[in-house]
Amino acid sequence: MRAYLLKRFLFGLLTLLVASFLIFSILRVVPGGPVDALIEEGWDDPELRAQLRHKLGLDLPFHLQYAHWLGGLFRGDLGVSLVLYQGESVGRVILERFGVTAQLALLSLAIALLIAFPAGIASALWKDRFLDHVFRLVALSGVSTPNFFLGIALIVMIGVGLRREWGAGGYVPFGEDPWGWFLRLLLPAIVLGTDHAASISRMLRTSMLDALGREFVLTAKAMGLPRRWVVIDALRNAMIPVVTVIGNSAGALLDGAVITEVIFRLPGLGSFLVQGVYARDLPVVQGVVVVAVGIRVAVNLLVDLLYGFIDPRIRYGSGR
Amino acid sequence: MAREIQSGEYELGTHRTLLQEFWRNFRRNKLSLVGGVIVLFYAFLAVFAPLLAPYDPIEQFDAPRGMRNPMPPLSRDEDGRLFLLGTDKFGRDILSRAIYGTRTLLQVAVGSISIAMLIGVTMGAVAGYRAGTWVDELLMRAVDIMLSFPSLVLAIALVGAFGIGKIQVGPFTVSNIVKIMLVIAVTYSPRFARVMRAVVLQEMAKDYVAAARISGASGARILLTEILPNTIPPIIVQASLMMATTVLTTSSLSFLGLGLQPPRPSLGLMLNEARDYLFWGAWWYAVVPGGLITLAILGFNLLGDGLRDALDPRQARRRR
Repeated sequence: MRAYLLKRFLFGLLTLLVASFLIFSILRVVPGGPVDALIEEGWDDPELRAQLRHKLGLDLPFHLQYAHWLGGLFRGDLGVSLVLYQGESVGRVILERFGVTAQLALLSLAIALLIAFPAGIASALWKDRFLDHVFRLVALSGVSTPNFFLGIALIVMIGVGLRREWGAGGYVPFGEDPWGWFLRLLLPAIVLGTDHAASISRMLRTSMLDALGREFVLTAKAMGLPRRWVVIDALRNAMIPVVTVIGNSAGALLDGAVITEVIFRLPGLGSFLVQGVYARDLPVVQGVVVVAVGIRVAVNLLVDLLYGFIDPRIRYGSGR
Repeated sequence: MAREIQSGEYELGTHRTLLQEFWRNFRRNKLSLVGGVIVLFYAFLAVFAPLLAPYDPIEQFDAPRGMRNPMPPLSRDEDGRLFLLGTDKFGRDILSRAIYGTRTLLQVAVGSISIAMLIGVTMGAVAGYRAGTWVDELLMRAVDIMLSFPSLVLAIALVGAFGIGKIQVGPFTVSNIVKIMLVIAVTYSPRFARVMRAVVLQEMAKDYVAAARISGASGARILLTEILPNTIPPIIVQASLMMATTVLTTSSLSFLGLGLQPPRPSLGLMLNEARDYLFWGAWWYAVVPGGLITLAILGFNLLGDGLRDALDPRQARRRR
């Protein structure tokens, strides 16, 4: 078990390393790059260009540039923002913004689980009944509605119709104004949460139905165990694919965060990435992408650990 | 699981071709028929866009005195021109823009899925046929690493690398739309590679492959003429489900301003423009493009699910 996890951990690190190399080299394919973004119209001259390139370290050979950046990466230094926050450390800004994204992610995950579990279980228990059809229809529309459309629809319905400050967007730290913090994060978290809830409840229904059809459930019923126990037993056996889906959602959290943060004007990692691309601020784009891959690798590792926890029969490696 | 045998199902002497069998299974699920109709509707819109659109999608019309753009649905301008779904902020007809936007969206989606399929199927076929060798190991590790990037983040970073708008690669100019197709194709090809490898492995274990090998067919011949035709159904299912994802990603990129560029009509971009007019109550501006994107994703999801169930009825019975 331990050897297996160590192997997975090392593979995760390797993935991160290769991914960082890929993103670094892709971002350097195009000539010009950040220098173009820094030079104002009409001030273009070769000498200034050369100076800037030197200052940014872009005149070094490729492998030295990468070695430099990678060395920094290991020390937690992601370089300096060139355009967006001129001279500011990218790592520091990412850390600051990561907090916002993490709060959004946790709140939305909580909403997703609160919706998905009752809905998925009810759907499986009352299969093909009215409630099941309603839940499935809602889940299907949830999977199909893009986050940006749902976000805009919520702003129109709630922000314009009910409470203006709910749809206003922006971010207030929890310590300053807890109620304002909640109001501002609620709508974006609902947008992200319902999206995940749809896929989680669909998977939960399928795998719960599968578990309910197996022999141990029949045995339990035949023994006259209370229905509650039977359901809990089945649920436990249905959890593995569900945890996988939850892990996928959590690992790709930055995908959803990009859209919701832009719509609701939240200063998180997702909107940082988009701003970085607009401004052609390479260290910012590199930094956020590496963090995104890091999150996914870490979540996958966590999911692996959870498998063994949920189902003790799962033993990795040579079964010791 | 035991189930009632339906009349006529196992009648002696009836013979159906595979296609008839497939159609019988497909038709049984009403939702997949709905999906099929939706997809046909979009194909119709895309193909006949020039005939269906009442106006030029980039022509600007002046609002009559006392009104201003964006005009609500069923408005007319001074010359009596009718705008069925209203106009946008520049006075362009929303219906025409929506029709042309749908056309572009489908162009990008079909184009990028075709490229992704070409790359992914080749990778997967080679890896599957050479399973267990270093070629397989190399390809599949590459796929793992590609999949460790959250997909939208990867697409955004790639756009960031090549720049927004059309790009210059050496002596060639790559138009913006082709660039977006390539970016999305690179992002999603690993998923096709995984499916293809699994299917090829499955087929390789079957007797007909052994028979072909005994009769002296070369490896390339077995792969291309024996195995490949049998991998088409699962790849089609995957393509249909991936169409839904691609429509979402394409319109997300456009929504963020990183995809299709104005004045080319694009549904994602229309939705983004509409954000500034929400507080004025210009709901039609957002609802038309948002609804069209949502319905397209729903259609491809339903069709994909239906195709999957029809091609693999045993799995489907368990699922339902």
